[in-house]
Amino acid sequence: MNQLLRFLIVILPILIVVFFAKVLLVDEEIKFANFEAKNFPAFQMNDLSGNPVKAESLDGIKLVNVWASWCVTCLVEHPFLTKLSKNDIEIIGLNYKDADSKANAWLQKHGNPYLFSIYDPRGDLAFDLGVTGAPESYLLINNKVIGHIQGEMNQIKWETAFLPLIEKAKQGS
Amino acid sequence: MIGEISHFLSLSAVLLLSLILIFNLFFSLNKFHPNQLMLSMRLFNQACWLVFISFGMYVYLAISDDFSIAYIASHSNSQLPIFYKVTSIWSAHEGSMFLWIVFLTAWSILFVNSLDKNHPLKKLTLLMLSLIILGFLLFLLLTSNPFERILPFGAIEGADINPILQDPALAIHPPMLYLGYVGFVISFSFITAYLLKGDFELQWEQDIKNWSFVAWIFLTIGIALGSWWAYYELGWGGYWFWDPVENVALMPWLAATAFMHSLFASSKSNVLKTWTMFLGILIFVLSLFGAFIVRSGIIDSVHSFATDPERGLYLLSFSGLITLLALSIFAYRLPDLNSSKLVVSGSKESFLSMNNILMITGIFSIFLGVTYPLIIESMSGEKVSIGPPYYNTIFSPLILIAAIFIMISVDALWQRSMSLKALFISVTAPTLLSLLFLYLIWRATAVFSILAYIGIFSGFLILFSYLFRMINNFFNKKYINKGSAVAHIGLGLLFFAVSMNSILSYEKNLNLAPGESISVNESLQEFSFKDIRVFKASNHDVISADISFLHDGREISLSPQKRKYATRGQITSESAIHTSVLKDSYLTIGDQLENGSWTFSLKINYFIKWIWFSAALMVSGMLLTIFKKKVL
Repeated sequence: MNQLLRFLIVILPILIVVFFAKVLLVDEEIKFANFEAKNFPAFQMNDLSGNPVKAESLDGIKLVNVWASWCVTCLVEHPFLTKLSKNDIEIIGLNYKDADSKANAWLQKHGNPYLFSIYDPRGDLAFDLGVTGAPESYLLINNKVIGHIQGEMNQIKWETAFLPLIEKAKQGS
Repeated sequence: MIGEISHFLSLSAVLLLSLILIFNLFFSLNKFHPNQLMLSMRLFNQACWLVFISFGMYVYLAISDDFSIAYIASHSNSQLPIFYKVTSIWSAHEGSMFLWIVFLTAWSILFVNSLDKNHPLKKLTLLMLSLIILGFLLFLLLTSNPFERILPFGAIEGADINPILQDPALAIHPPMLYLGYVGFVISFSFITAYLLKGDFELQWEQDIKNWSFVAWIFLTIGIALGSWWAYYELGWGGYWFWDPVENVALMPWLAATAFMHSLFASSKSNVLKTWTMFLGILIFVLSLFGAFIVRSGIIDSVHSFATDPERGLYLLSFSGLITLLALSIFAYRLPDLNSSKLVVSGSKESFLSMNNILMITGIFSIFLGVTYPLIIESMSGEKVSIGPPYYNTIFSPLILIAAIFIMISVDALWQRSMSLKALFISVTAPTLLSLLFLYLIWRATAVFSILAYIGIFSGFLILFSYLFRMINNFFNKKYINKGSAVAHIGLGLLFFAVSMNSILSYEKNLNLAPGESISVNESLQEFSFKDIRVFKASNHDVISADISFLHDGREISLSPQKRKYATRGQITSESAIHTSVLKDSYLTIGDQLENGSWTFSLKINYFIKWIWFSAALMVSGMLLTIFKKKVL
């Protein structure tokens, strides 16, 4: 019993460290490949100006970007999203665990790349969607989530993960 | 130039700390040479002072707007008041890591110098602390250098601190939390030193007791401030979200709480010594785990910093290394440690160890909740979120059992078994009274939720058993441990407030036209939309609604606003809040509907202030314990 205990005390932390090292080193590409398409969760929410969001507004090819005014990395990806919104794709914001006054002030200060932002102060919709934090981006085709990126969105992730999916979807239709 | 000097001082500290470790390699770990220790101590003190001066200069750089330093340029701004220029230092990864190290150094230098100069564990503790500080300084300088310059030309103006971080609560929340986290480096390194030394005649509890208590106070205040900030400043409408980073702060807190309790038992009656040692090591290990989770970016959360994997790997390997070092020594010494003394069943220690087990169960459940999504993702690629229902379901039975043991232990004696009769007498009155009050609450609120009722009942059990003990103390002069009573009453109130908040708070969406008035529910009457006013402010138009309502007979007037900014047509809404002892009312104005009426969202949060009041009680209880003349 004592021997086993001594063994466990040493081996458990080693296993935990090895596990986290593995998670840290996992190639991002693999994460994209494993993504299974699913329906966008049903919701009834308002946007940041207080108007109810219509489900039809998610039709077509859309990028749903989870953001918040407290989120530092959101500021990092903001210029790239602004660029995307100009000619590549329509972006819908999901304002996550934020206060609307602060979120609107943030948009006013940094510019608004979003068609509109769904206001989700408690993270209800985000929870259904499987969001773990901000920023995250979801690729939607006709209300179906077909791609997901955690963390900062940038040129490389856009080209390797989302562009091929969009092209495939366009060919399909 | 000052930036370079500051950088150079930190590098020199690295050099001195390495020197201590190398120099001590030439001597046996267990032999005592006064000169060797003296030299090590001098080097160590100098290294610590170098870190302090380096940080002091860095603060000066931030105040004097040196935007050629990349970190300061991207987190501060010349327009900021000095206070926020300083706090901008810990608004992101590099600077906050620097602060973390400064606190680590401060605790270390204070503790080592407080030890008697012939203390047999002084040298080994010093070596452990040097190793830990060295590892983190290297982490700072190699992977997250706050001194990096923008060359050849610095920025003219800084990018500014995130506006929501410009808040007094945020200015103190991270420092308090860090002071708590790193304070447990003392129990960690002292216990490791004790185990390395292998002289088990030595007593170690007294030397680190108060240090750990103070660290616990900082940790508690840090966590409470964080939740205060989330509620009042961020307007999230909640105080605790079971966010991964809240979870990794709660784990060391639970471990520290368990540690303090078993420390009492082991110094009172010489039992549970091995267990206490293990906990003393575990707290700091969990603190390191927290630092890893927040700073590696492995889990995205409210608190994550933008990161790269290199940092995560360094932190993981270094934390893993010192954890393994401490735990291997612990495992190696384990057969010699097993004290022959057993806990008497039915004694105070026995109930206390039961609660220790519950706290460890709590830690394990949180650990599982934090890592489970990662495990699932790495095995199947699927994403899962673990939310409040998981934690609420797990914690409410744990809380109930814990409350029962606390109730029994109030009247239990150290080292002596409690007779069944005494046990029966001491639990009957609080239990009956709790049941009665629970029934009254059910009658008054007519809401039922099993989890919340378990929480309320647990809170009552603790409150009433201490209440009876206090009455007994007053009339029959029975002994009462004041610190413990205050802290546990705080805990009982916390259970009560959190559960009441969860069943009573509600949210209502209302549609009203100006001049209309409705009753929302029995306690909230005459919600009347008196007037809507439109006026111009400097750069925006304001629509302001005048609302008044009777809440439990008391008239409350609120004026939520909507602002339309001229330049971009941006509309923001400003909620109005009314707070009273029992509840907070939040009112937000929405849109005008086609028929001319407006939408309002009304949130009523009950017992929210009580949560922080109970945290304050716990801290006061701890302070009473520390400053009592004869502790233990």
